[in-house]
Amino acid sequence: MTTSARHAVPTPATSAPAGRAQGRTPVHPVTFPRLVAAEWVKIRSLRSTWWALALAFVLFPLLAAMRSASVATIADDAPPGFFVGPAYVTSGVTLALLVLCGLGVVAVTGEYRTGQIRSTLAAAPTRLPALWAKLTVVVGLAFATAFVGTLAGWAAAAPWFDEIGMGVDLTDAEHVRLMIGVPLYLAAMTALAYAIGAVIRSSAAGITAVLGLVFVVEPAFAYIPWEPLQQLAGYLPTAAGARLVTSDSIGSIVTGSGATALGPWEGYLVLLGWVAAALVTAAVLLRRRDA
Amino acid sequence: MIEAHGLTKRYGDKTVVDGMTFTVQPGKVTGFLGPNGAGKSTTMRMIVGLDRPTAGSVTVNGRPYAQHRAPLGEVGVLLEAKAVHGGRSARDHLLAQAATHGIGARRVDEVIDLTGLGPVARRRAGTFSLGMGQRLGIAAALLGDPQTLILDEPVNGLDPEGVLWVRTLLRRLAAEGRAVFLSSHLMSEMALTADHLVVIGRGRVVADAPVADVIALAGPPTVRVRTPDVRALAALLSREPGVELMSTGSDVLEVTGSTTAQVAAVAATAAIPLHELASVQVSLEEAYLQLTGGEVEYRSSTSGTAPTTTRPTAGAHR
Repeated sequence: MTTSARHAVPTPATSAPAGRAQGRTPVHPVTFPRLVAAEWVKIRSLRSTWWALALAFVLFPLLAAMRSASVATIADDAPPGFFVGPAYVTSGVTLALLVLCGLGVVAVTGEYRTGQIRSTLAAAPTRLPALWAKLTVVVGLAFATAFVGTLAGWAAAAPWFDEIGMGVDLTDAEHVRLMIGVPLYLAAMTALAYAIGAVIRSSAAGITAVLGLVFVVEPAFAYIPWEPLQQLAGYLPTAAGARLVTSDSIGSIVTGSGATALGPWEGYLVLLGWVAAALVTAAVLLRRRDA
Repeated sequence: MIEAHGLTKRYGDKTVVDGMTFTVQPGKVTGFLGPNGAGKSTTMRMIVGLDRPTAGSVTVNGRPYAQHRAPLGEVGVLLEAKAVHGGRSARDHLLAQAATHGIGARRVDEVIDLTGLGPVARRRAGTFSLGMGQRLGIAAALLGDPQTLILDEPVNGLDPEGVLWVRTLLRRLAAEGRAVFLSSHLMSEMALTADHLVVIGRGRVVADAPVADVIALAGPPTVRVRTPDVRALAALLSREPGVELMSTGSDVLEVTGSTTAQVAAVAATAAIPLHELASVQVSLEEAYLQLTGGEVEYRSSTSGTAPTTTRPTAGAHR
């Protein structure tokens, strides 16, 4: 009759095995979806991620509104159809490029700066799946932000459409190309920045390298008045990729490159080639180097 | 269980780890002891595949670490430097590590409770003290309930209560049949926590033996005897075979090659009064200094730790 009372006596906590719950903790093999889930937890739990994404997003409606408002004041002098709506809607692309490239670099260099990389690679010792998992998450976020940002830019510029005499026509192939091209371009550039970050492994040096390439080295190539160099400039990653977001009538708003040897999708393919090359370099180095 | 065979790491022409061979057995706490720069951290990083060995190999639970499909379920690792992004909360860090192996949030909260991180679990790890960082590292190591644990200086930065907690935890983990591999430069802590020691110096294993054997390597226990009649006792003791005497004070003798019982018997027959009679065990610290004395990279010129006895060679006491 005292049995039940005896059972009510709590077991001292120290008698429980230290590492174990009741039974064994379920532990499953590392898979790519699990690594993506882990990278999602990692990126969403950093405040800097949300600051960067919010900034990149808000640049679209902000610049779309500003440029549309300023163009509206001169619109009367232009012939009808002169202004390409999507080019103004996506005015934020250059500044968003700056922010998203920074995010792409820091997503990976931040791990080296803090030592987190040791935890990451201890959980994924074959290494490359961790590199691709983080790439998936970072590029996915960049694309989503740029896509939603482009739509927000559209909404923000819309009040001036009638006054300027422009619009976004989703039955027009060029309009569609520009509208979807901006998120695609920014996603690819983020991937390039990510790969460069993975190669350089230092935040400061990585950001300097990426922004130096995009805003200094490539424009410098384009401005040096020597024909072969200018031809080559059109094949550099930013310039080539920017063909996708270049209106045929207005020209590039991203780079100073005047080289138009490449078609929009050809240019984007050239950029993807650069991205692939940078990622392969990052992968080889990640396999070889000590962490 | 960890098995290292001829493990070697060179950086350029500098050899940091030089042909280390040792085994970390399950059910024991194996201490990894060596001066700073002896190669402890590098060895531990090679075990979990963070550094690639220049030569040799190391397996954990029978396989190279990277070949385990669920490595965190096999090996838990705490490395010396913080391995956490400071901008992330402790709980988010653990959730991310857990997600890689499909481990649920329930287990994350379990290790948070186990390591006493509850009150700070949602604070950013960058604001943590060294001690809290160590607890977070231990929590991460325990996530997958592993059979093998590798801990680099786990008590570094912990308060006395934390040190006691780590000691109790590691003893318990070993008692559950796990292999626990623990590096520390705190020899007193090793003496209390470890069953077995792998002592290294300049990247080489200089001893691989149970703690008691390592202490024995430094020489037999001596008997200290304090008496007002040193001269008479010394005369009698020196007749015993194998006994060596050293006078370390006007009324103190250090006797080697004898026991307290023998000294007491000799003194009693001659009616020599004894004020003190004690067996003096060489401490782990002294044993360690003797073993590594010649292997320390940068010794201060004032240190009086030069080995006086012949240094045992690696593996002699396996």
